[in-house]
Amino acid sequence: MDNDAERALLPNGGALGAVLAAGIGSLALGVFVIANEAGIFTAPSLYGPSGGLSGRSTFAVVTWLVAWGILHARWRDRNLPAIRVLTWALALAGLGILMTFPPVWRLL
Amino acid sequence: MLFSDRSLWTMLHGLVLSGGAFMLLVTALFALRAMAAPDGASVPARQSTGFAGLTAAIAVLLWMSVLGGTYIVFPMYRATPPEGIASLADYPRALLMSNADTRWLHAFAMEIKEHMPWIAAMLATAAAFVARRHRATLLADPALRHVTGALLALALLLVASVALLGVFVNKMAPLW
Repeated sequence: MDNDAERALLPNGGALGAVLAAGIGSLALGVFVIANEAGIFTAPSLYGPSGGLSGRSTFAVVTWLVAWGILHARWRDRNLPAIRVLTWALALAGLGILMTFPPVWRLL
Repeated sequence: MLFSDRSLWTMLHGLVLSGGAFMLLVTALFALRAMAAPDGASVPARQSTGFAGLTAAIAVLLWMSVLGGTYIVFPMYRATPPEGIASLADYPRALLMSNADTRWLHAFAMEIKEHMPWIAAMLATAAAFVARRHRATLLADPALRHVTGALLALALLLVASVALLGVFVNKMAPLW
């Protein structure tokens, strides 16, 4: 497929679904971390030697992949505003990063 | 023996996989800028597939580093020392926590190292997917180029921060 054909035939929604899903996955990891630190929800350890990290990270990855699958199915045939989706994805990722930052959860 | 199995795993995790991802992230960000084409221009297939391959390699390296770090290196780091042991040198977490001056390396640095690399891996995977799916037009599409560049830049920031913290931890409590 040449450039013009791809531009005409391949909407950007599929790619942007992956971008937003990465933001959702990042936020999910932050939520699992902060919920664990606040004693609200503790993801079970799925591999003893790695402790709770194995559960938190696995739950976040599952959330990421499910979100990616849903967004891909819904957006793959659509053209979306790329910068707006990127802004949301970065905002979600930023929140996720903030929630995995120890000084933040020590405020709880 | 010059290197133990434990130190080899640490070097593979930190230097080969994370270090490789770090260098490729810098390369990809440079390439994205250097190979940018005017909107709608035709991009040589070698450049577009090369860039897609570069981002895929970053994602693969980061996932290998994250999974190896979580399931191989981290268990060695957090192993609990037996009662009454004379030296904590083989138990990095216990060693760091035994001294008030180094306790922050576990409570701050390692806590960050446990989680943030997963975010970098997810972001890099998204960038690789965008670069692969739109490989024919990405370098000549300002919006998608901007999206890919932002994801790679954030991943680079996270990888660099975590690598620096890893150096601090490894300096004070290496896995011998």
